[in-house]
Amino acid sequence: MTEEGMRRERVVGIGAGADAVQPRELCTPKDPATSKELATEDMVLNIGPQHPSTHGVLRLRLTLDGERIAAAEPIVGYMHRGAEKLFEVRDYRQIIVLANRHDWLSAFANELGVVLAVERMLGMEVPRRAVWARTLLAELNRVLNHLMFLGSYPLELGAITPVFYAFRERETLQHVMEEISGGRMHYMFNRVGGLKEDLPLGWLDRVAHAVADVRRRLPDIEELIFGNEIFLARTRGIGVLDRETIMQYGVSGPVARASGVDLDLRRDEPYLAYGELPVKVVTRSAGDCNARFQVLLDQVRVSLDLADACVARLRDLPPGPINQRLPKVLKVPEGHTYAWTENPLGLNGYYLVSRGEKTPWRLKLRSASYNNIQVLREMLPGHLVSDMVAILGSMFFVVGDIDK
Amino acid sequence: MMFHVARIPGEGLAKGLAVTLRHMLRKSETQQYPEVHPDLPPRSRGVIALVEENCTVCMLCARECPDWCIYIDSHKETLPAPEGGRPRARNVLDRFAIDFSLCMYCGICVEVCPFDALFWSPEFEYAEYDIRDLIHEKDRLGEWAQTVPPPPPHEVGAGPPKEIAAASRPATRTAPPGRTAEAEKGGTAAGARTESADEAATAVPSGTAEASPGPSASVRREPPRAMRDIRSIRPPGALPKAPKNPKPDPQDPQDSQNSQEPSTRKKDGPKEES
Repeated sequence: MTEEGMRRERVVGIGAGADAVQPRELCTPKDPATSKELATEDMVLNIGPQHPSTHGVLRLRLTLDGERIAAAEPIVGYMHRGAEKLFEVRDYRQIIVLANRHDWLSAFANELGVVLAVERMLGMEVPRRAVWARTLLAELNRVLNHLMFLGSYPLELGAITPVFYAFRERETLQHVMEEISGGRMHYMFNRVGGLKEDLPLGWLDRVAHAVADVRRRLPDIEELIFGNEIFLARTRGIGVLDRETIMQYGVSGPVARASGVDLDLRRDEPYLAYGELPVKVVTRSAGDCNARFQVLLDQVRVSLDLADACVARLRDLPPGPINQRLPKVLKVPEGHTYAWTENPLGLNGYYLVSRGEKTPWRLKLRSASYNNIQVLREMLPGHLVSDMVAILGSMFFVVGDIDK
Repeated sequence: MMFHVARIPGEGLAKGLAVTLRHMLRKSETQQYPEVHPDLPPRSRGVIALVEENCTVCMLCARECPDWCIYIDSHKETLPAPEGGRPRARNVLDRFAIDFSLCMYCGICVEVCPFDALFWSPEFEYAEYDIRDLIHEKDRLGEWAQTVPPPPPHEVGAGPPKEIAAASRPATRTAPPGRTAEAEKGGTAAGARTESADEAATAVPSGTAEASPGPSASVRREPPRAMRDIRSIRPPGALPKAPKNPKPDPQDPQDSQNSQEPSTRKKDGPKEES
């Protein structure tokens, strides 16, 4: 088959993506004398701030050369709520309310960072039951978050069905989360020194049941979408992110692990009870959209196993309290600390500076999505506009987490 | 080039369709919402209920609220002096309103209320066409009190729910350190305690519980009651409802003073914690 024939076949294939449209250099004849090229002009296209593929109000300013993206610039801040500044005028319990809300899909993990920072500053030891319960809830929260993206990413690529399956699983887990915390999204369940309330009677059984149900039905989602040719054609080889760029931009979480960056704070710098748990870190080497999506599914499996281990451990733990008695006015001693956690979307850090008052002097928030989204300016150029949706969806971000 | 995973072209699509087909034969997951009410857990944060009698206008909820959506107005009333006593000032609640259009449903107000006047109810059907109607005044907040479920019992190895501990607390304050120690005591004994509290509640009607310590003055502790009705919870150290024949007790006047003034309560707060 000739070179020309090969190329024609690729154009015909399903979703050949960027391969179907040749870059300009290839189209441009080497000798300008043989053909006259029309003068082209780049077009600036704004994606968002109101666009379904941006999950909210992320704005991308694309410079297009025909269908191909020549330059991309994420413009953030449309949902900036000044969370860090608000932290400075809230006491530590009220901060938990706010910290819940920047990444609304991983509220529990967000709360966790705040209380871990405060507890470290106070030198407070958390009851063991609370530590294990927190670990369990954090893992359930991770599953909830990942299931959301396992459903919404195919939705963006045109597959409507998987989102229903993902949401059924979410509902199963959300029932147990709601039962213990009373909230469906903003759990408000962490307190400095432990958890707000103890576990309800029979809750551990229901958790074990829910986890088993989700694990049993997870292959449904996998079979629905993971082998789908249309899905593969739109994700494989698209939006490849290399290790070097990840290091430069501080990308973390499943997005980084899909490119072979083997970093997981649960294993590398254990907090909570992760030190006693066999945390399996899921990595892929391809670094494309498909690899990122696969990492999510495997992380769900790992998290479900960890949740089971936590339930077994909580059953064996000797009876005891789940929180510490706190003074009426909680003041954190002067000093500073940085507490980071492996949130579902990546590294989430709180830099807490206290001057001995009941509010922090400064609470810097390092959220995962902010860094993960900046790398788009490196990733998008060279791809087609239709691939932009696939890449954007595979970066797994929450706009609130970007804009804080 | 593209199909090197699925050996047969379209295998992945067929697999997905097989999942869909299998699910066609299963029971539907749809919830028939308006007809069938969802079964919400007791801890659900749906709406905040107010038990007006327990509110002492200490303003803790309004101050701790992260977005200040609780509005409280009050005035002071002077109670006529009882026999051989002095007149006492008492805070009377004029307005207690929660603006649910601002509320973030964090539950801090319920948590900080020292006198068990605020509770969560799982009710959620109070949407309005006008945002101004989302301000619930105290009569509306009081109506929600009927929908407050009893707290769920705790897992084995945990302390009893704090609402039950509050309901089974003796009305008069005999020995605060002992009581707090008991409330903090975890273990299987605690689980057994809540169960026995349930049994006691079925045996003793809740109305008579207040009057029961009257005849035998030596028994200071009432039998622990389970929380049947949140209105049965009295603030710690509350005055008895009906004036009983005053048994000479050196502690009594001091106790009632404690209940009237939150400031004195606050003063002995740290002592309990340490």
